[in-house]
Amino acid sequence: MDSFKLRKAEPKDVPDILRLIKELAKYEDMEDQVILTEKDLLEDGFGDHPFYHCLVAEDASEQSNNNNGPVVIGFAMYYFTYDPWIGKLLYLEDFFVMKEYRGFGIGSEILKLLSHTAVKSRCSSMHFIVAEGNQASIEFYKRRGAADLSLEEGWRLFKIDKSSLLKMSSGPEE
Amino acid sequence: ECNSFILRKAEPKDVSDILRLIKELAKFEKMEEQVILTEKELLEDGFGDHPFYHCVVAEVPEHKQSSDGYTVIGFAMYYFTYDPWIGKLLYLEDFYVMKEFRGYGIGSDILKVLSETAVKTRCSSMHFIVAEWNKSSIEFYKRRGASDLSDEEGWRLYAIDKDDLLKISAKKR
Repeated sequence: MDSFKLRKAEPKDVPDILRLIKELAKYEDMEDQVILTEKDLLEDGFGDHPFYHCLVAEDASEQSNNNNGPVVIGFAMYYFTYDPWIGKLLYLEDFFVMKEYRGFGIGSEILKLLSHTAVKSRCSSMHFIVAEGNQASIEFYKRRGAADLSLEEGWRLFKIDKSSLLKMSSGPEE
Repeated sequence: ECNSFILRKAEPKDVSDILRLIKELAKFEKMEEQVILTEKELLEDGFGDHPFYHCVVAEVPEHKQSSDGYTVIGFAMYYFTYDPWIGKLLYLEDFYVMKEFRGYGIGSDILKVLSETAVKTRCSSMHFIVAEWNKSSIEFYKRRGASDLSDEEGWRLYAIDKDDLLKISAKKR
């Protein structure tokens, strides 16, 4: 299968993007945690100020034209972040190719296009997180030069959830 | 005694103070020479058509200025990120109050303003990274409800640097 196409996502791709987000979440047994809707994705990605960007991979083969299967078979979601020491970074948030389309180099091509985007937008680096149990992904990225900053620099990711944010924003003076 | 400070959104004129405070925080981590960002970049990247970051600054009146003569004595840098399961998040990137102005609740107030911003912009959560050895920061955040996702969910932060990005983008299929 070497007839696939990579392109920037368009508003019409939003249902496919949500479908692939859910497929990736299902793979992690977390499908019911996806509460994002097509409406959110549309407003947040294609409004005046996009909060994310997507690349999609399409099956451009003959078979795809003849059957009723999905055309969009992979995606990557990314956005720009900022390092106060060096400036702009590209942050890779989600990256998924449907199981039956793996092994054809689609993932590699997506990463290549992301790397090109990073360089073109004058980003110093591409950052992303990987779960420590995910050996296959870790190897995939390490083969391409990725360094584990959690290991090298001791970084841990924290979050403060909405209920705690509400407490802080309305709470009494300390 | 310092209870006369204000918090406000950063303006283009604050860019040299922001860079100064970024360098002070880096110096505290013994990494000052790693700050290669310039005032020009901070200006373009923060105050152009598409801001790549936002800043809140803490300012004191002239008569309360720092020992080295500054009135902008603290800042927080943040931007918006996106979780594919829940949507917008507020990401806290840098957060610093000059040493002589600590202990007056300025940091707590900055965090309060950030929390209000997050809620107002319909963010589900605020994310940030903390170095595992930084016990006082970890305690500061945990007191406010922070949970360690690296611990709970096993996340590790990775980077692919520019040289490797160039290699990847130039590779033949």
